[in-house]
Amino acid sequence: MTNPAAVLRAPSRRRNLRRPWIGWLFIAPFGVIFLVFLVAPLVYAFYLSLFSKGLATGTTFSGAGNYVKAFTDPEFLSGIWFVIRFAVILIPIQMAVSLAAALVLDALTTRLSRFARLAIFVPYAIPAVVGTLMWGFLYSPTFGPLTDLFKVVNQSAPEILSSGNIFGGLLNIVVWQWAGYYMIIIYAALRGIDPSIYEAARIDGAGPRQIAFRIKVPMISSAMALILVFALIGTLQFFTEPQVLRPISNGSITSSFTPNIYAFDLAFRFSQFNYASTISFSLGIVVFIAVYIFLFASRKRRGGLS
Amino acid sequence: MTTITRIPTAKKRPNITAHVFLVALIIYFLLPLWWLFVASTKDPQGLFTGTGGALWFDKNFNLLANIQELITYKGGIYFRWLGNSALYSLLGGVGATILAVLAGYGFAKFPFRGRDFSFAVLLGSVMVPLTALVIPTFMLMSQLHLTNTIWAVILPSLLSPFGVYLMRVYAADAVPDELLDAARVDGSGELRTFLTVALPLMRPAVVTVLLLSVVGTWNNYFLPLAVLSDQNLYPVTVGLGGWQALAASNNGGGTSLYTLIVVGSLISIIPLVIAFLSLQKYWQGGLSLGALK
Amino acid sequence: MKTKSLLAVVSAGALLAALAGCSPDVSAGGGSTDSAGGGDAGSCSNTIVNKDAPQVSVWAWYPNINTVVDMFNKSHDDVQVCWSNAGQGADEYAKFSTAIAAGTGAPDVVMLEAEVVPGFILQDALVDLSEHGADDVKANFSAGAWKDVSSGDSVYAIPVDGGPMAMIYRADIFTKYGITVPTTWDEYAAAAQQLKDAGGPFMGDFGSNVPAWFTALMTQNGQKAWDYESADPQKIGVNLNDAGSKKVADYWQDLVKKGLVDTKDQFNTDYIGGLANGSYATYVSAAWAPGYLTGAGASTEGDGAQWQAAPLPQWDPANPVSVNWGGSTFAVTTQAKDKDLAATVAKELYASDEELQDGVDTQTIFPLNQKMLASDAFADTPVKFFNGQTANKDVYIPAENAYEGYTYSPFTTYYYSELTKSMVSIIDGSKSGSQSLDDLQKTMTDYAKAQGFTVK
Repeated sequence: MTNPAAVLRAPSRRRNLRRPWIGWLFIAPFGVIFLVFLVAPLVYAFYLSLFSKGLATGTTFSGAGNYVKAFTDPEFLSGIWFVIRFAVILIPIQMAVSLAAALVLDALTTRLSRFARLAIFVPYAIPAVVGTLMWGFLYSPTFGPLTDLFKVVNQSAPEILSSGNIFGGLLNIVVWQWAGYYMIIIYAALRGIDPSIYEAARIDGAGPRQIAFRIKVPMISSAMALILVFALIGTLQFFTEPQVLRPISNGSITSSFTPNIYAFDLAFRFSQFNYASTISFSLGIVVFIAVYIFLFASRKRRGGLS
Repeated sequence: MTTITRIPTAKKRPNITAHVFLVALIIYFLLPLWWLFVASTKDPQGLFTGTGGALWFDKNFNLLANIQELITYKGGIYFRWLGNSALYSLLGGVGATILAVLAGYGFAKFPFRGRDFSFAVLLGSVMVPLTALVIPTFMLMSQLHLTNTIWAVILPSLLSPFGVYLMRVYAADAVPDELLDAARVDGSGELRTFLTVALPLMRPAVVTVLLLSVVGTWNNYFLPLAVLSDQNLYPVTVGLGGWQALAASNNGGGTSLYTLIVVGSLISIIPLVIAFLSLQKYWQGGLSLGALK
Repeated sequence: MKTKSLLAVVSAGALLAALAGCSPDVSAGGGSTDSAGGGDAGSCSNTIVNKDAPQVSVWAWYPNINTVVDMFNKSHDDVQVCWSNAGQGADEYAKFSTAIAAGTGAPDVVMLEAEVVPGFILQDALVDLSEHGADDVKANFSAGAWKDVSSGDSVYAIPVDGGPMAMIYRADIFTKYGITVPTTWDEYAAAAQQLKDAGGPFMGDFGSNVPAWFTALMTQNGQKAWDYESADPQKIGVNLNDAGSKKVADYWQDLVKKGLVDTKDQFNTDYIGGLANGSYATYVSAAWAPGYLTGAGASTEGDGAQWQAAPLPQWDPANPVSVNWGGSTFAVTTQAKDKDLAATVAKELYASDEELQDGVDTQTIFPLNQKMLASDAFADTPVKFFNGQTANKDVYIPAENAYEGYTYSPFTTYYYSELTKSMVSIIDGSKSGSQSLDDLQKTMTDYAKAQGFTVK
């Protein structure tokens, strides 16, 4: 009879074959870049954030003082409030559009659906700068179609590039730009479902809508959760689109519009590098908390995200 | 790889709502591109005060003249920018993919100590705000005398945490341990095993990550803006942004930059769209991200 | 085992190397000795004519700078200019201040608008040119222009172009509605009302993205916003809400409320389109406006539209005040390898007759150099944009010569950002003009204190 302990202790061929530390070697190239271009700058930025420098004074160590200043800074807080509001409205819309599109595309196999798949995804291939420039032109009363369209019904077109409407204007740009990306991920997840499940459901009398909502959606809930997290992170760090739209926003996009824009202006326009780093890290803290809350709140509904 | 046979479902009702929905989506997503194309055919006067409205052509079809002006403006700087973008995204994209594939494989197939912790750190890094990194990265590059070189853009672009995640998930699912062990038993070194056994099985994910990395680097704006000051090195995003800034303030200097911006934007989109079209079967196919379930 | 520790060493090494050059005092600036210098600041976008001569790197964004640099290089064999365009305005300043903070990467000579010079002096980014022969060219500039780049006896930049302000107007619209050209602001408001009552277009525009414009108009009515000397940088006086400024703010808010002026941001396509198609009867602007508008495609020759230039309306016709909007200079940076050579370039680039003529011909700049300004040819130029009116002689040159200069703060960018917010509240009426300025006064005073200044 074999002694189990002896078997375990004996150098098994199986264990020798899989030398775990080789994993480090595979990870090393990525790891080096990661350390040099992400960890090192991050550490340095954190270091910077602990000091403060007035334009007229030297640098002093202020430790957590900068962070207290950040979290009581009305400009930072108004930026946070904006991105939270924006995320709360944007993300459901984005998910709805991407999910609906993916479900429809999963159900059809016509040429139209193939073309649609491409058309929806193309905006993702366009640099955010170019996309925002285009929408800026489209929103403009002089160059966009809005004035002409509203003239037909004898109304004056709404001024999208103004403080009342800029929220909706930005919402539209982001949905347009990113819906395809999310749609493709959902679509790929849908394609991975074993179709025999649908057969079984159909035999049980389920119609297409029931299949969609009762079977497909729950089965891709992990994919949904994943992209929700990425969408949340991305939206809280909102930067490129409002920054590009700023010169034509008629004053509605200010230097503290989003926390990332505030950090950018602090660093690159007002030369306050230390406080800018503090703001960036404070934003990171907010993002971390938001993601944690989200993951915590959704943990019962997820299928265990790896 | 995934041989899921789809039993053709007999759709008796021709699903009109679904098709109408798709047509609406197509119009919405392609409208700005249509506008861009139409605007590219107008001359400066036409852009401002043209006939036909914003969404239809002007009386002068000026596309070729506009393209010609784009080619010759400032000695063809635009095409230099296009070339730069291509260089950065190819080198950056390919490099990022290689690093991500290797790292993903390492995470998936080797249960080393500290694996889960490192992976958690990796995922956490996605949450880091960009602005936190740019200034110190610039400082770092200055110390290494890399600012204003192509490496200032390419090296940071090699980082693709999401790519590593995707590769890990895919490798864990698509590459059976038994095959790897079999190869090892046959005396194949780790690298050979990886190249000959694992890599072919991971191809769809590799192509996806490649595409995402190339697109990501092509569309990168903030990083090159910060680390480059020689306009000969600009990628096309920064170049166009610069023209936009120039046009939006007191320095057009005799040329209407708006036409150039519009045509330049149009042309800058074409390479990526072509790339997507030609690599369709990879990212539209049955990419089974099984572990996402 | 071995590989693992090797890896650890490599990673630690990379980290250490990265952190080695870094110090918490980010603005270490000031003449970093390790300036491998010119190479970092960019390769040349122009061709070098005399390859043996030493090179000086220059950042500038004039649209015709390429031509100017070529002319310079051909006419100098003691030095060659290596130029690159590092962005315009705020974009270039961002790169410049980051390079200063990092200690490397700045050019030898940098193009700066006068309004940001004090800020860069404070960052130890600029060289005092009075030690490098700045006085050689002092006579080429008006007293006001020279004051803008000086601080006491120190000179930190050489002026290139300026923006004396005037009012350009559509003569055809004035004729159509029977408007006489206003010479005072009261007349301006009356004309605006007259236009509106007759169903005409907007008189002008009050956009929130032109804080420098608004500052100039308030200065015209006596505002002395800043009391600051770069030589004594710890102290600053802030005075933004005096009676004269409030009058200007309330004046424009009134025009906005009555719908007599538009509130569009300037310089974007909508605004230019509006100027081109007659939505505005006047444009209170600087001398570079015609060049800018022509380049943007808004010139309206042959459309029956007739732009003319007239002096800026005054508050008190007995005591006219000239003000300035914009304008640029060349400064020598503290990272320059050879400061004397760089100073030579700063003094002589865009200063020869040939180069200045090109700037004028391409309508790129309104030159401040008296060689051009005082020349008859320049004065008598029939300006195409104004249908042949000798606008320089009639309007711009007198305005420039009467300009007395301005004192800028060392945090102009921040100030403009806050002023823009004030202008937004003036436009949307959430605060009165006076209230906006009172709030701005408090904001800027608090900011100055937080930055360590003693507020006078």
